[in-house]
Amino acid sequence: MFKRHMLAGAIACAFPLPALAAADADLAALRAEFDQKLAAIQAEYEARLKAMESRLAQAETQPQSSASRESGRDRLGAVSSGSGFNPQMSVILDGVYYTDNRRGAGMGFMEEIDGINHAHDHEGHSHGETERGFNLRATEVAFSATVDPWFDANLLLTVDSGGGVEVEEAYFDTRSLPAGWKIRGGKFLSGVGYLNNQHPHTWDFVDQNLAYRTLLGEHGIMDTGLQLTWTPRTGSVYTLLGVEALQSNEQVFGTAGEEVSADRADGGAVGAGNGGTLSREKAGPRLFTAFAKFAPDLGDNHALQIGVWGARARQHQEIHDHTDEDGLGACNPAVPASCVHALEGDSWLWGTDWVYKYDAPGAYGQGDIKLSAEYIWERKDLTVAFHENPAVAVGTSRKLTQDGLYLAGVYGIAPNWQLGLRYDVTGLTNKVEGAAGTLSDYNDSDRWTLSLTHHFSEFSRLRLQASTADLWVEGAPEKVNQFFLQYQHSLGAHGAHAF
Amino acid sequence: MRIVLMAMLSLLAQMAWALDVVATTASMGVLAREVGGEGVRVRVLAPPDRDPHMLQAKPSMMRALRDADLVVAVGAELEMGWLPAAIRGAANPRLLPGRLGYFEAAAQVPLMESGQAADRALGDVHPAGNPHVNMDPARMAVIAQALGERMARLQPDQAAGFRARAARFAEALTERLPGWKAQAKGAPGAVLYHKDGDYLMALLGLPVLGYVEPVPGVPPSASHLNALTGKLKGQGGVILYHAYQPAQGPARLAQALGWPARVVPLEPDGGDLQAYVRLIDAWVSALAQART
Repeated sequence: MFKRHMLAGAIACAFPLPALAAADADLAALRAEFDQKLAAIQAEYEARLKAMESRLAQAETQPQSSASRESGRDRLGAVSSGSGFNPQMSVILDGVYYTDNRRGAGMGFMEEIDGINHAHDHEGHSHGETERGFNLRATEVAFSATVDPWFDANLLLTVDSGGGVEVEEAYFDTRSLPAGWKIRGGKFLSGVGYLNNQHPHTWDFVDQNLAYRTLLGEHGIMDTGLQLTWTPRTGSVYTLLGVEALQSNEQVFGTAGEEVSADRADGGAVGAGNGGTLSREKAGPRLFTAFAKFAPDLGDNHALQIGVWGARARQHQEIHDHTDEDGLGACNPAVPASCVHALEGDSWLWGTDWVYKYDAPGAYGQGDIKLSAEYIWERKDLTVAFHENPAVAVGTSRKLTQDGLYLAGVYGIAPNWQLGLRYDVTGLTNKVEGAAGTLSDYNDSDRWTLSLTHHFSEFSRLRLQASTADLWVEGAPEKVNQFFLQYQHSLGAHGAHAF
Repeated sequence: MRIVLMAMLSLLAQMAWALDVVATTASMGVLAREVGGEGVRVRVLAPPDRDPHMLQAKPSMMRALRDADLVVAVGAELEMGWLPAAIRGAANPRLLPGRLGYFEAAAQVPLMESGQAADRALGDVHPAGNPHVNMDPARMAVIAQALGERMARLQPDQAAGFRARAARFAEALTERLPGWKAQAKGAPGAVLYHKDGDYLMALLGLPVLGYVEPVPGVPPSASHLNALTGKLKGQGGVILYHAYQPAQGPARLAQALGWPARVVPLEPDGGDLQAYVRLIDAWVSALAQART
């Protein structure tokens, strides 16, 4: 009873009722009222809960309506699966079946083409180890990522079939410079020419053209340094201007730090009557390039890009030691090849590149046309720095000049099928000039190549290539017919290709 | 004299202040023009008769992107074969993904087929989701409003105009939805060449009966077409494909099934709302005509 009174008191406090309500009848009425109110509150609460539950359920089953509620919210960024991984990674598998008409010696002849760059004993890495039969070519492994708001970075490794790993490219690019400026730093493929900064998986042919191979090296100009590019506002014409300062590591036209060995290649000692010495390696950067590319706007179907470039290596040294060939014997002034000698000086190169593309309305590349042509000229302006034969004066001039070009066309003959034709030649000019006139005049080597490529999808292709070359090696003509069957597979998140 | 000078000055000011917008496809161009109105200059990169999957980066694209304030892309990796390279070549930091100058339509709406396995055995799949959101007027309405917000952030003094035009565009499309749905109601559905019409089919509540491509990005094989014929024999429907998609596959299938095969556009033939409405009209009427 006491409790009940307490409750009544509490209710009396809770509800603004007259405090007189002590009688039992009043109490009963009060209780009924309380119960009624409680029930009403409970019912209301339950109804609210139910409404909330049903709203939740609706939201779950109708993602679209939830999105439209957010309409007007603007999201930055890109929808991408690739950015789920940081860095993005991709792998290119590349393999060939190879055969030729020279019992496998064709690749060797390609390495030994007569010209101003092959005739010294520079130890470069070799890429031409293609055997007759099946070959796994270098596998490209690429990583790329945005470092922070200011830099992007790229790494491209190649792994050869023996497991040897080489860093082909490892560079950063600036992201946020204003007014069309960009800086690239690290090891990278130079921006000169058209093909120079393309990797083998974007080539239309299995192998590098003869002009690049003999004048720039198998990779083209790949070096460590800095690149500055500018894309100015030039009306409807796209313009790209660039300069590079490169270390000049192991370029065929820019090598430093060579030393004349005390031993000849044939094992004998270098003749005592020699004179001169090679100068010290200059501090880098030793190679400078400049390039410009122009592309007028030709509408939706056509695209044309024209480029010119130049390069200068401010130090180049090369040692000529052919004494292990054909038993020439000790240095004999009457037989120049029997004497070890070294040259040094600088090198100049220039080139021009032309690319035209027609984008046909056909699907899967049918009807598309791509024509490209490049010309490269190279001059090594050297002097004799060392000679085994005392009769040849140290300081005598040697001008070595060679040029080369290629013309290539690719046509989409059917959906996902491409036919390619290429003519490449090196050594149209191909000579060594001394103070008194021409010392050597090499012949030019040329080649015709036909390729047929089938793209199964964007990510895999099979290519058949046949070529016939008329080469000059050691002053003798060599006919080399080569045949390749190549596959290339691209795995992972692979970036878009440049023009 | 003073009036002329003032008019010229105001015209100059308007030209100087107009946002320079680059749209990747014609439908993104419609969005940019409708939402931007007088406040934007729009250039479209992909011609409407080309497959936006297959384009290549060209110097003229880089030229256009070099000076742009805003790029409006479909996104979800549709343009991944060329747009990133073109933006890189343009050396314009304003347009980098994640910044205000990079607008992706697909990022503004929920996508179909998102979160699928990134298994290329299934063809040129987009694991981020089906990117062809431009074929969905309902999503385009949402995207237009997001674009209005973006332009407002880039050009705050014209924010009210952008928002109002975006709302008008969204309303104009939303108003037409019931009509399109009613027109398509009861149609048997269609075989599509590629997954580019999926959003519209879902919006209209019609089934996609199959695809001419066996997997995205791979041309049809005879065995795939035979399998499709076996599955659909006796049913009604229509085969829809775009002019840039090879006609042989659709023609063979049409003959085998006795269905009509019709060429439909995937991008508007003009730059305004009406052109976009014509695009959806063309699809809806092609689908509705298959009803027997």
